[in-house]
Amino acid sequence: MSGLEGSESRPVDITPEEVQRFCEFLYRRTGMSYTQGKRYFIDRRLEDRIAATGSSSFQEYFSLLRADADHEIEHLINSFTVNETYFYREDHQLRCMTSSLLPGIAALKPPGSTIRIWSIPCSTGEEPYSIALWLMENWPEVDDYNIEIVGSDIDTQALKAAAEGIYGERALMRLSRDIVARYFGPVADGNRQIDEGLRGSIEFTRANLIDARDMARYRDFDLVFCRNVLIYFDDASRRQAAENLYDCLRPGGYICLGHSESMSRISPLFSVCRFPDAIVYQRPEADHD
Amino acid sequence: MPLVRRGAGSSGAGGEPAPQRPALDSSDPDSRWAAARALAGHSEAVPELAAALGRETVPRVREAVMTALMRIGDTASVEAILPCLRSQDAGLRAAAIESLQALPEAIAPFMPPLLGDHDSDVRLLATELARNMEASQATGLLCALIEREQHPNVCAAAIDVLMEVGTPAAIPALERCAVRFAQTPFLPFAIQVAIARLSGAEG
Repeated sequence: MSGLEGSESRPVDITPEEVQRFCEFLYRRTGMSYTQGKRYFIDRRLEDRIAATGSSSFQEYFSLLRADADHEIEHLINSFTVNETYFYREDHQLRCMTSSLLPGIAALKPPGSTIRIWSIPCSTGEEPYSIALWLMENWPEVDDYNIEIVGSDIDTQALKAAAEGIYGERALMRLSRDIVARYFGPVADGNRQIDEGLRGSIEFTRANLIDARDMARYRDFDLVFCRNVLIYFDDASRRQAAENLYDCLRPGGYICLGHSESMSRISPLFSVCRFPDAIVYQRPEADHD
Repeated sequence: MPLVRRGAGSSGAGGEPAPQRPALDSSDPDSRWAAARALAGHSEAVPELAAALGRETVPRVREAVMTALMRIGDTASVEAILPCLRSQDAGLRAAAIESLQALPEAIAPFMPPLLGDHDSDVRLLATELARNMEASQATGLLCALIEREQHPNVCAAAIDVLMEVGTPAAIPALERCAVRFAQTPFLPFAIQVAIARLSGAEG
């Protein structure tokens, strides 16, 4: 968050009506839903952004936000979301993967066949490695299939870090000591590096979600994790990304989005699937006219 | 080891893009889908996409055609999408609104005629197109509408948009609208809420 805590400038007054307008805009633009009950949370972040943009009033800031001047929507979303990435983040989706998604996918494939899982954007690798760890720890059938995990990102520096697999304490905070001890070895500066076998088992590649030609190199995934990125795109880019992801999935394949994202608000291409642990989206098996 | 990695060269990828461009008039929906996706951003393809939009029946392909036109986003692509506002298919009308909302600059010249259309359904849908426009521009267009509009539902739709995007400059027009529709109680109430919001905007 780019707040100006400690700043001498006096926060502008924000009325309940302005908060209401703001919340409606935020919901329509991003799907993030807040009510007056979260007033303190909203005001704090709005005041920070008003100060950071040099706006003198809510109205001035709101105009700037609606025009997305200087990528203000991205700054605002960052201030409302957790930007950190760490192992086992949003683990209800990982639970859903092993309790609902993979059993369904595996039921249609003979043992020994391949299951393809894609993490995009994978940033510095926490998500694809989390998928691998979770599978090995929580899916008894893991040895019955060839599981390919691909991690992709547009940022080649992040991909380099992902391939190195070195993480600090904060990134590992959600993992048990036992898992850390079994899969991570100590390296310099108190960091830990994920086991060489795991590093070697995941393929890291560069990909741009909204570039159809780029994405055409990726096909036949059974499951895609595409979390907390579509929220940053404009409407046209979101639709383009959704169509690209549709093509990357096998018919019947699933896509997991971030907790504040909804494919239904982006594109009607996918079916909504409500499982006990998570809501995910499925590429239909066939067209319905 | 249950986790496997494909050999070098595959890059976790499937096949390369098809070398030959598929056709929008193919009998195969997958080919039409691929054709529409390949034409995204190609302004010379607008006539082809417009024709496809008029005849396409597979929702997935129609979405791709709409996205392709959105990605082009010029005057011609707006003209291609506009007829969908008069469609009997609610899904197509909604898709057209979403697409046009994403093109606030390209749609701007079309707004006065749309807001003055003889069909109240078109006028009502057109109010939504102002939602992503610059605040003063949206306020001007919607205030001009509510000053003359006779249909209460169209006014209500415009007021709903003004509530989000309007500026305090809309307040006088809203007050006059409330007087004109005094016998339609829900409108003065909606206007009261809108004025409170816009007044709040003055801080």
